[in-house]
Amino acid sequence: MLDLRRADPSFTDEVLSEPGGENLLKCYACGTCMSTCLVKRYNPEFNPRRLIRRAALGLREQALADPTYWLCSACDACYARCPQSIHISDVMRAIRNVAMRGGAESPLAAAQVDTDRCSGCATCARACPYDAITMVAKEENGLLHQVSYVNPSLCLACGVCTATCPSLAITLEGYSQEQMLAQLGAGGWLEASYDAPKIAAFVCNWCLRAEEDLAALDRLPPNVRVVRVPCSGRVDPLFVLHALREPVGGVLVAGCTPGECHYKEGNSIEQSRLLLLQMMMGHLGMDARRVRFARFGAADRGQFERTLAEMMGELAAVAPEGWSTW
Amino acid sequence: MVNKLKVAIYWAGGCGGCDIALVEMGPHLLELDAAADIVLWPAAMDGKYQDVEALPDGAIDLCLFNGSVRTSEQEHLARLLRRKSKVLVALGSCAHEGCIPGLANQMSAEEIMRRVYLEVPSMDNAAGTMPQTVTRVPEGEVTLPVFYDYVNTLAQTVPVDYTIPGCPPSAHQIWRALELALAGQLPELGSTVGVYAKTVCDQCPRVRQGTKVKAFHRPHEIEMDPQRCFLEQGVICAGPATRAGCNQLGKPPLCISAAMPCRGCYGAPEGVEDQGAKLAAAVASMVDSIDEAEIAKIVGGIADPVGTFYRFSLSSSMLRQAMAEERKR
Repeated sequence: MLDLRRADPSFTDEVLSEPGGENLLKCYACGTCMSTCLVKRYNPEFNPRRLIRRAALGLREQALADPTYWLCSACDACYARCPQSIHISDVMRAIRNVAMRGGAESPLAAAQVDTDRCSGCATCARACPYDAITMVAKEENGLLHQVSYVNPSLCLACGVCTATCPSLAITLEGYSQEQMLAQLGAGGWLEASYDAPKIAAFVCNWCLRAEEDLAALDRLPPNVRVVRVPCSGRVDPLFVLHALREPVGGVLVAGCTPGECHYKEGNSIEQSRLLLLQMMMGHLGMDARRVRFARFGAADRGQFERTLAEMMGELAAVAPEGWSTW
Repeated sequence: MVNKLKVAIYWAGGCGGCDIALVEMGPHLLELDAAADIVLWPAAMDGKYQDVEALPDGAIDLCLFNGSVRTSEQEHLARLLRRKSKVLVALGSCAHEGCIPGLANQMSAEEIMRRVYLEVPSMDNAAGTMPQTVTRVPEGEVTLPVFYDYVNTLAQTVPVDYTIPGCPPSAHQIWRALELALAGQLPELGSTVGVYAKTVCDQCPRVRQGTKVKAFHRPHEIEMDPQRCFLEQGVICAGPATRAGCNQLGKPPLCISAAMPCRGCYGAPEGVEDQGAKLAAAVASMVDSIDEAEIAKIVGGIADPVGTFYRFSLSSSMLRQAMAEERKR
């Protein structure tokens, strides 16, 4: 129950005065944002409606203890649907700014930079959808070197920088290079033969919006290996090559449809990466259809399984003889 | 007299630049000569394969092998020198990762032969004469080495003890490695020698602002700002995915100091298996667009992606392994 005797109107004012926080009081708590957002799938505590209400009522402690403002990835799916046109991610950022000033820390495990490996190329800083990475100076053997620094308050743990880093100097908890490759090869899958072409499917945590589609991942045939990724942008081209050289028949990367990426632009970076890889495969006389970037939108249902079936059909055409050993 | 070390230097499928780099050691060559007997160095002195064959196995203390392995002669020498050498070093990008000759792996041996001996505009070969491995002449048989289907690295042919990367390796790095070898202080077997821990960007003085680009250009297509990061001007630079080591520590990398982007000859950073894939991943994140069609246009504008991202490392790459698997089927 809300105890309004503990309300602190100055908190509401603080949020309102942050850029983006000015629309806080327009919310009438319809809950459309809540029903749109997928974050609650992975964290039941996530609830923008409740947080906005608490902030509007000046419940400072309860609002700041809520993880919601750390977890909002600013994909803005809710913004398009909010009947009051509140830019909810801006409100979340406003609350986060207030929290950061008070010394609060994000519950997310931010990407970690190994500064002994980092060469300061700034590739990650360019790739980060949240501008969470800056270059800082580090002294090594009396000389100043540039290295990356990930601001843990801004990092959403999407893994785009991890996949991008050319030195493999950035790791992400739960999705490290070793963990991803271990999942791909678990149970001897890479070496195993099945009576249908093998497909390695890297599936973003957000692109399959229907619970039914998500459940379908668990009942796929054994020739399909599903590896979950926070964002399609976590898929390092090295993973794709790792599979193709085994050889795995096809690699399917499943991400969000353009404009709907949960991490703003991770899917666009992945599009560039896979396009380049496909161009190179083509130049080498390989069949670029073995790599496919499938993108699913908020309205798609059952599309993942159909894409998979289509790809298997295509693989049969790529190598009519001996395809079953792929 | 103290027993001098026996050193062999061999040039297989490469341009000869590694031999030039050795000569570039200058006065250190005299130090090498003082400390070692050179039993084979075809580029610099007379020497016969039979002399090497006559040596007992393991008689050579150190062999610097440069060049890739494409022909039966190169393979024979790789195996022979492996057998005769206590320590075998892959010297230079060709032996290390295939280098420019490795780009020929984009085509089959037959396509290459047809192109070179029948199709090139400067070829006058109306009779369609093709090179033969054995030709009978009145005096007897003359032979040519077999031209294999693919270009392989030294390590894909025989076990290699150390690698000194570079196209060519810098003379100071070769000398540093030789000093270690002469002093018996070579590092752990399998090590890459003559490099620094980080990548070219760590040594590069150009300013990086973290900006992206709307188009990629080849160096001759635009006027480049001499202070700014090449990549941020849309010129593909292999620096982010290339091991540093081409210049003295603390000095700008060689190509950068010549106002050209890094071409990638020192190979992948430590622990990275495929340089091209990681360079492609880095370059892909330079694209300043979230529009599907625009991204396709920007990325599609990258000329010769295999020759750009795998300029030196195609032979040893995972991509080539994937290609080879596909061709088997």
